[in-house]
Amino acid sequence: MRTLRRILHVTANDLRIMVGDKVFFFWTLAFPVLFIVLFGLVFKAGASAPDVAEVVVVNQDQGRWGAYFIDKIKTPGVAVTVTDKEPEAYNRLLVLPPDFSARIEARRDQALAFKKRENASARAAARVETRLYQAIARTLSELILYGDGDLTKFLDGHPEFRDIVLVESRFPPKTVSVVPSGFDHTIPGTTIQFIMMMVMIYGGISVMEDRKKGILGRLLFSPLSPGGLFRAKLLGRWLMGLLQALMLFAIGKIFFRLNLGNVPLALLVIAVFALAMSALSVFIGSLCTKEDLIIGLSVLLANLFAALGGCWWPNEIVPPAVRTVARISPAYWAMDALHKLTFFRGGFADIAPALAVLGTLAIVLTAVAGKAFRIRD
Amino acid sequence: MLEIKNLTKSYGDVVALDRFSLDLKKGEVLGLLGPNGAGKTTLISILAGTVRDFTGTVTFEGRSLFADRSMKNRLGVVPQDMAFYDDLNAMDNLLFWGGLYDVPRADLKRRAAELLEVVELSDRAKEPVKNFSGGMKRRLNTAIGLLHKPDLLLLDEPTVGIDVQAKVSILDIIRSVGAAGTAVIFTTHQLAEVEGTCSRIAIMDHGRILAQGTLDALIRIVGEKDIVEFTGEFAAAAFSEALQDLAGDGLELLSVADGLASLAVADTGRIPKVMDRLFQRKLAVTDMKIKTPSLETVFLKLTGRSLRD
Repeated sequence: MRTLRRILHVTANDLRIMVGDKVFFFWTLAFPVLFIVLFGLVFKAGASAPDVAEVVVVNQDQGRWGAYFIDKIKTPGVAVTVTDKEPEAYNRLLVLPPDFSARIEARRDQALAFKKRENASARAAARVETRLYQAIARTLSELILYGDGDLTKFLDGHPEFRDIVLVESRFPPKTVSVVPSGFDHTIPGTTIQFIMMMVMIYGGISVMEDRKKGILGRLLFSPLSPGGLFRAKLLGRWLMGLLQALMLFAIGKIFFRLNLGNVPLALLVIAVFALAMSALSVFIGSLCTKEDLIIGLSVLLANLFAALGGCWWPNEIVPPAVRTVARISPAYWAMDALHKLTFFRGGFADIAPALAVLGTLAIVLTAVAGKAFRIRD
Repeated sequence: MLEIKNLTKSYGDVVALDRFSLDLKKGEVLGLLGPNGAGKTTLISILAGTVRDFTGTVTFEGRSLFADRSMKNRLGVVPQDMAFYDDLNAMDNLLFWGGLYDVPRADLKRRAAELLEVVELSDRAKEPVKNFSGGMKRRLNTAIGLLHKPDLLLLDEPTVGIDVQAKVSILDIIRSVGAAGTAVIFTTHQLAEVEGTCSRIAIMDHGRILAQGTLDALIRIVGEKDIVEFTGEFAAAAFSEALQDLAGDGLELLSVADGLASLAVADTGRIPKVMDRLFQRKLAVTDMKIKTPSLETVFLKLTGRSLRD
């Protein structure tokens, strides 16, 4: 009990000194918020959806099924413009080929081209795409029910059958539910990046300075054991990372409507990640003897890991080869887990592999840091 | 109270402590004198529990000083480094360091306030330590080691690099701590500090105690001889050879190095003869000092070196 009290006493003092530093809040809060706003707006630009998603349908079909299909697309949230040739400007475009009806009647498969202008809203495109799946499903269902007869005529005579086939689109749990962009991406990404940077820099420098000034040695004049001292230093840096994450998430929630999905699991990911970074900071602080070296190393590692790990842009958009290399970054596993929670509404089972990797990393780094922890130069 | 027996510690081939033994009684203030590398800091570090892998025993009131970590509650250490937090104020530093020991919180606050009075920092208690002068920092450094009222206090060169006023203040504290019953060991380079502060003085070199006792007892070691120190541009071998036949009969060659030599002489009337011999041999002596018996001459006789070395 007394050992724990001493550990907490040292930890609380470390936190107090870090928080008491005038520039602490700039680097842990103000600067990351600046990053969040900047990157959030950049990603948000293409992510806002208009009230009505317009789509141009180029109907080259020679038969009757093209018009029938277009009729199924129409809905209040989707404005359909039908034309016979591809316009120069459009936001979203669907092409029905000349043999669209012929292929349906011949029971042959066919591919439809759906295009989106590069900078057009991805959310609107997703809405139109959803409507297309519904239209395809309804057309296929009605074909199965009524065969090749003149459905329009049949339905005109029997209005009670008009909506007999209802198609409801629902994304399975593991598919994307929100386009990964905007603040929902940049807030966790920036948080992960700045936990790495600040825990490594502040945590590393203070371990080095305490050692050089003889403070670590003096702490051991007290009943605190070397193991207790190491745990106290680790705990202080871990709490610093958690504190930073909580502050950034709170700001994200209040000002940017941050949606983390399962919040307790998101905090669990942050906690395990912060523990790994705390151990890394003690390790760096134990190895380095110069402040400049710690800053340089920390900035380099944090930015490299952040870029590779998907803190700056979603990992889903990078080439597969880069994604494979990115696995060396602890940030990759943290962002992977946070993405699964935020964008895919995942649960514990979905993030368990990433948590296992981060947990293993935390254990290994803690062991290595414990071995490298030095009381004196 | 404190019993050290055959303490030996080596760093590779270098023996820092060589079968070092010492006893210390309650309230005794022991000044440990020795040149750089004598083993003083190693001794303090071992007693403080931060250096391991040694042989020998250290008991405190019959119990091993390293039996368990609770023994550290009885030990106060003032390191040579000014080891505290510059960003905190003096009071917060005392409360932090004191909080590591088993002292009730209320007692700790009262004790911290008392100690700030003792080290004359009460009026600066709420000021960040980084604004303090070197002397003020040294006083705070000392106060931190006293906060939990230790039974044994170890001070490693507590007066290095400070002004006279701060030095006097710290030596007063050491004296009063000893008078209150705490056993004190403090290491220093400064002979004057131990002369007026310590009830016992030990001179150590090469990891061993060469002599110990009261100031008077130590001075008796060199007897009534004066020490004559020669400086100049001469070779050690030539100097020794020149005075070889004069040695003995009240003249003793204490130490000889290139450019610096010391003799103990029972009668200063023999000095002209020594000078004649040196001039005959064309040894360029540029300065000569005669020192009456003192702790410094004892130190020189025992170690063959000046404390400055």
